[in-house]
Amino acid sequence: MSEVNKSRRDFLAFSGKAGVATLVAQAAGINLGIVDVVKAEAGGKVDPFRFAIISDAHLYSMDNHKFDQQLIDAVNKVNSMNPKPDFVLFGGDVAQNGTEDQLVKGAEILAKLEMPMKIIPGEHDWYLDMGEAWRGLFGDETWSFNHKGVHFIGLNSILVEDFWTPAGLSPKERMTVMEMLESPIPGPWGVHEKQLEWLAKDVKDLPPSTPIVVFTHSPLWDYYPRWNFQTSDAPEIREILSKFDNVMSYHGHVHQTLYNRIGNMSSVAAMSTSWPWPYPPVELAYPETRMNRADPSIATDGQGVQLINLSENFEGLVEYKPFEDSLTPFMQDGFKV
Amino acid sequence: MKTRIAIRRALGIGGIAVATVVAGTVFARAPFTEAELQQQMDTLYGVIQTGYDLWHGSEPSMTSNGLACANCHPDTAASNPQTFPKYQTMYGKVVPWQEMVNWCIENPQLGERLSPESDQMTAMKAYAMYLHRGLPIEPGLASEQTAAVPVAFGTGFKREPTGLGVDTREYTPERR
Ligand SMILES: [Fe+2]
Ligand SMILES: [Fe+2]
Repeated sequence: MSEVNKSRRDFLAFSGKAGVATLVAQAAGINLGIVDVVKAEAGGKVDPFRFAIISDAHLYSMDNHKFDQQLIDAVNKVNSMNPKPDFVLFGGDVAQNGTEDQLVKGAEILAKLEMPMKIIPGEHDWYLDMGEAWRGLFGDETWSFNHKGVHFIGLNSILVEDFWTPAGLSPKERMTVMEMLESPIPGPWGVHEKQLEWLAKDVKDLPPSTPIVVFTHSPLWDYYPRWNFQTSDAPEIREILSKFDNVMSYHGHVHQTLYNRIGNMSSVAAMSTSWPWPYPPVELAYPETRMNRADPSIATDGQGVQLINLSENFEGLVEYKPFEDSLTPFMQDGFKV
Repeated sequence: MKTRIAIRRALGIGGIAVATVVAGTVFARAPFTEAELQQQMDTLYGVIQTGYDLWHGSEPSMTSNGLACANCHPDTAASNPQTFPKYQTMYGKVVPWQEMVNWCIENPQLGERLSPESDQMTAMKAYAMYLHRGLPIEPGLASEQTAAVPVAFGTGFKREPTGLGVDTREYTPERR
């Protein structure tokens, strides 16, 4: 507990510096880099490594769409990292309309990654055929694996109750409803009972000192439910994972830089490769992790990829790597506190 | 003033106090009847709904790459209608909100601009302004993103099912 508090102090101490860096970036009209450090209680368990996150490509069906190139740029950006990340997590929303051609196009671009990839679905991938094409291309959407001492968990967090059968909607109409961020119909998403049971079983025998990374499309906290910047059963997930010393949650869907911490869980959002979203009218606990207002006249502003370095103490160094390559070396390289 | 009070009456706020004020006011002409006011509001809501549809991509000419206003501006967030007219760097001059909408149609959406005077543009403005109702008018505010008035669910306005953004829940917008 004291270590958790210490980590919060460290973060806040750091955020003073981040504030300065962000202000400098703002004055120069450039983009944001945020570095976040998360400390763990137990040490010496992790064989240090780095992984990357790419998220929210939202590919359309037409040829040579600008989002195709933006995803290719993201793949190239990760491939050119030195040293290379051990693997890549993709945060969902490969496709815009959930069609097979869009998912196939995404899979083909992502196949150019020079390291393995694990992926979880976003709502845009899913609701045309309820995940059939996605599963055919990417496999199971609920998974876990161990890597160099860290237990990684992936969950499908975009499940909703059946609203389409009573309304008599076609698959395409169902997809249209789900494509709208502010759609009033589907209600809040979650991982639902079956995955909660799976999760409880998955971590049952792991000791509390096990470093845990959990990966979902939507954030595991109530950020802005109207846009499904939430997971309705996140409290249950956090409860199941509460026995661990330190849990890192990474997620997509919000198309912006964002950090939060609840109990033993830190939560970090991924930028998209397609478009940035404005911050909703919500007060943030860590407002210094907001990125600058994106400039609409720079088509790739406010988008990019992220790189996470895990130390032997399961200390995370998160680096946002925006497309607009305009950060100071200090912010580009990241730093420890 | 007369109209606003009358609209508030039509919306059911203010109750007896408002009614008293109205009764005690000398009108140059008879106020609108309840039925007339209802009809006016219904017409406005209809236009807002059209704006909502256009914002979410109902007009194919507005895009050639599939992008709609709502891709980047859910709930019209960060479209900042209450901050226009203002200086826009892409124009190098002060432009109205409608012109910024046309910039987005022509650039990120690669579509055909609308006439600023068109019913379609009016509808989109009605939608954006409705979601920003009550927020202070701050012409020129450029460095901050502003967000629409949050609503718990629903669209924030009456909505008939059309297949696009069907609002199946009961929703009463908060009224001031
Ligand atoms: Fe997304
Ligand atoms: Fe999403």
